[in-house]
Amino acid sequence: MQVDFVRGNEFIGLNNYREVFANSALLISIRNTLYYMLLCVLIGFWVPSVVAMAISELRRFQGGMRLIVYLPHIVPAVVLYGMWQWLYDPLGPANQIASWLGNHQFMWLTDKSIAMLSIVIAETWQAFGGTTLIYLAGIVGIPKDLYEAAEIDGAGVLQRIRHITIPGIRHIYVLMFIMQLIGTSQGFMTHMALTGGGPNNATLTYMYQIINEAFTNLNYGRASAMGVLMFLVLTSLSMVLYYFQGRSKEA
Amino acid sequence: MSNRERSIMSSFDFKKRTVQIGYALMLLALLALAVTMLYPFATTVFSSFKTNQEIFTFPPSLFPHQFQWSNYVEGFKYVDLIRPFINTLLLFGGNAVISLMIVSLAAFSLSQMKLPFRKGITIFIMSTLMIPSATYMIPNFLNLQSLGLIDSYWAFWLPAGASAFNIMLLRSFFDGINKELFEAGRLDGASELRCFFRLAIPMSVPVFSTLLIFAFTSTWNDWFWPSLVLTSPEKYPLATVVYRDVIQSFVMTWNVKFSVLTVIMLPPLLFFLFFQKNIMHGLNLSGVKG
Repeated sequence: MQVDFVRGNEFIGLNNYREVFANSALLISIRNTLYYMLLCVLIGFWVPSVVAMAISELRRFQGGMRLIVYLPHIVPAVVLYGMWQWLYDPLGPANQIASWLGNHQFMWLTDKSIAMLSIVIAETWQAFGGTTLIYLAGIVGIPKDLYEAAEIDGAGVLQRIRHITIPGIRHIYVLMFIMQLIGTSQGFMTHMALTGGGPNNATLTYMYQIINEAFTNLNYGRASAMGVLMFLVLTSLSMVLYYFQGRSKEA
Repeated sequence: MSNRERSIMSSFDFKKRTVQIGYALMLLALLALAVTMLYPFATTVFSSFKTNQEIFTFPPSLFPHQFQWSNYVEGFKYVDLIRPFINTLLLFGGNAVISLMIVSLAAFSLSQMKLPFRKGITIFIMSTLMIPSATYMIPNFLNLQSLGLIDSYWAFWLPAGASAFNIMLLRSFFDGINKELFEAGRLDGASELRCFFRLAIPMSVPVFSTLLIFAFTSTWNDWFWPSLVLTSPEKYPLATVVYRDVIQSFVMTWNVKFSVLTVIMLPPLLFFLFFQKNIMHGLNLSGVKG
């Protein structure tokens, strides 16, 4: 629909969709979004479960460690942006640490090849604490007799993790994976704040482009068309999530 | 050690050399993790006391040589934080009242009253949870625009009354209350509203407090939606003001920036430390039921 607040709305069939597909930035943004999701999975997906296992093994300061891990979650997004703008500053701490390690300087937010990585690291820093707590709850819920029995049967520590802990929280892995896909596919705020979609569209995600289309170009019709496309993809993902959620309750 | 409940490793394992080394490595890794978690907080807070030259000295120092409190004075001079703070409180207050009145009444009627099509309505509300939030941002905006609610706080309060997540959270709590209680109330001649205010609300203080905490953190943190639906800058809440005037500013020096960021960061942190029990409880309530 051609949304125009002065002349009123007008039905224009599939034109918006045609325009969306003709847009050259569309492919770039889809590729960027997929790349972003991939990085989030590579960096952010396994970390919470490993940290949760480690914390569950702590004999002292377990509560304190939980608190520390969850703390970044409390930081308001705007403070997060400010913090990481500074950490990624060419003269900032990230480069100082890099110079201790290998005397190599990075342009964290303005280098095309690592800008997305920098964003993912910042977001993982903030968000993984919440997921860790969910995994922790799952790990604590595993019956202790299983470990006892395995130990008597002669299973080593790593074997116990491999055959008891990981299967015990498998359903959480599945749920978290899908939740992460749904969540990250909509990411755009950190990109907007830290890099503004640049350098050279390297961090322009699909959602960011929808926002641009709607609120910068004021083309609500085209933005809605893009939104509908996204809705179709994400809703089918949610269906999968719902299916697994329903199944894990029986298990 | 013997009366402690075992986890993956037993105390017998700790007698083995390899396990000891592995455990020590794990502790080191956790320590490193704790440092990386806390370091950004520390730089933000400590840098807010430094002079701008000291921030950029090499090698970097964490602690400031001397505390320069004037950064805070300058920061407050640069951005007015008082009015945005009042705006934030207004937004939060409205959200709280609306979710207490509308959302909880809806949840109560879905849970405890004999409603026609109750199951259908519940499933309908629940299904809206599956729609990803990003996709209805634009329709939401357009609706508010045609209702003429742009640049008014109703653009926040109205959607808050339709929060499916909160309705479901409250409904599952109300479901846990014994039905006989309300039956007894009705027999004694109490109306449904009276049942709600005199029985349901006092019994669900814990769930309400979690809800309020969630509402507080989301109002405090959200910067994007306010910058979309509010057009006059004097109505902006804190987060949006900070985003516009501090994060995107190029003239502000880093030490002053950090002072403002510290001020913004502290209230939610304190809030969290005070209400930690409730928040963790709420996370369990809303979290994935495995």
